[in-house]
Amino acid sequence: MPENSQLSTNLNSMIQIAAFGFLINYRKTMVGPLWLLIGPSLFIVVLGGLYAKIGATEPDKFIPHLSVGLICWTLITSFTNQAPTVFQRARTQILQAGLSLDNIAMLSIITSVIIFIHQIPIILVVFFLYGISPTFGVIQSLVGLVFLIASGVWVTRLLAILGARFRDLSEIVQAIMRIAFLVTPILWMPAVAERGGALGHYLLYNPFFHFIEVVRAPLLGNTVEVGSWIVVLVVTAAGNIFTHFFSRSYLRFVPLWI
Amino acid sequence: MTDTELAGAPEPVHGRLDHSATPLIVAENLTLRVPIIKPHERSFLTSPLQLFGSLYLSRQQRLTVSLLHGLSFSLASGERLGVIGPNGAGKSTLLRLLAGIYQPTSGRLSVRGMTRGLFDVSLGMNLEATGLENIYIRGLHMGMRLGEIRSLVPSVLDFAELGTHIDKPLMTYSTGMRLRLAIAVSTMIEPDILLLDEWIGTGDSYFNEKIKKRVMALIEGSRGLIIATHNAKLMSSLCTRGLVLENGAAAFHGPIDEALALYQNRQKQR
Repeated sequence: MPENSQLSTNLNSMIQIAAFGFLINYRKTMVGPLWLLIGPSLFIVVLGGLYAKIGATEPDKFIPHLSVGLICWTLITSFTNQAPTVFQRARTQILQAGLSLDNIAMLSIITSVIIFIHQIPIILVVFFLYGISPTFGVIQSLVGLVFLIASGVWVTRLLAILGARFRDLSEIVQAIMRIAFLVTPILWMPAVAERGGALGHYLLYNPFFHFIEVVRAPLLGNTVEVGSWIVVLVVTAAGNIFTHFFSRSYLRFVPLWI
Repeated sequence: MTDTELAGAPEPVHGRLDHSATPLIVAENLTLRVPIIKPHERSFLTSPLQLFGSLYLSRQQRLTVSLLHGLSFSLASGERLGVIGPNGAGKSTLLRLLAGIYQPTSGRLSVRGMTRGLFDVSLGMNLEATGLENIYIRGLHMGMRLGEIRSLVPSVLDFAELGTHIDKPLMTYSTGMRLRLAIAVSTMIEPDILLLDEWIGTGDSYFNEKIKKRVMALIEGSRGLIIATHNAKLMSSLCTRGLVLENGAAAFHGPIDEALALYQNRQKQR
């Protein structure tokens, strides 16, 4: 299968380019990529206790909930907020024909995933401190993560094309994501009986909730509702199929728009 | 100014078959229309403060301009095509089209083999990274594996003559050093079809013999060459065919001497 091996070689090179760029970015800082651990850790330490009180939850339930949610959220916003400007930022590469447009989008996706992986130790430390040891849940959570990343792929590819044509998209997405952070249960926990908490049933219409839920709930020993799995599966499949056709029609215009 | 660099983008439209009888490039009726965004009519002469006002309100209009229309030509294996024309005639646009960056709005373009454009030297170079790291980054961009790049590093170092500077970040380099490194890196792989933009002719003052030799060797090795330049002398020595562009359309396509003569005639008339 020569085509397959070419694909994997390409993926390999893209991972290497992304890793290079990621590391060189931190060259002049003293702590380097460790900053990725310091930021969220501070957030969890400073705000964890406070919001556990505000939400009247027990810290040993809330802090792990917050940690996993926050790090998943970082991955989600990394996808959505980078995407609309991916092609604009790579303008020189595109116009000099260094990399194909698909590869440029792929670099952005891989960089987000690298940052995510680099933040996983925070979750490990929190789980260790609070004595959480998921076993089978890890596998289920990884399956959820695969779908989260697979959706990141179509979101990046779609928003990248739209963002190249409509520059306002970047601002719109950032405004939406700021609100989405607060309406998604990260800083607060949905009430157990009435799952939506203060947001009531509206929570079920929040796709970000379902994507975080399929990764987070298995780790914390909660069951994922079937509805969440359905939303995640449908959004991932439909999004990728739609983007495939959208990209086939419009990707070629991107060099003219940037 | 390091406006030299090359970029390689293998984007062959059709890459199979290798009959040397079939031309490397066939272009039929190529047309490219491009949307541009332009500010609304306004007069800074009456009130310069309008500059800020209209920027804040971002008043602009979107229109489509036609950069190339109805362009047809072909390039046979071993042929070297010179593209001549006044500024803005569409020379660089045509090269980008051939490199697979732009897709034609209409018309047919088939390119057989790998094309590589030497357009702008600063491309893909990371200023924070060292010279050596940049060799690897650019190599990866060109689709090479780490092992392949490592085997080519000695020859790149040999050409670039950077000595111990190779371990320093690129931003500490002089223009000449950057240029040498960029040329060395960009010429690591020999393409089937080489696309050269103006810079080769215009950069003469700091375009030393060594770099010239390297580029010439690349030209010798390629199966086809397309070069856009104002330098008539360079063009007549390098090219076998000429394509005169005027306002995005072909004014002439044929032997290089006739093309140059026609172009010089038109220049005189203006």
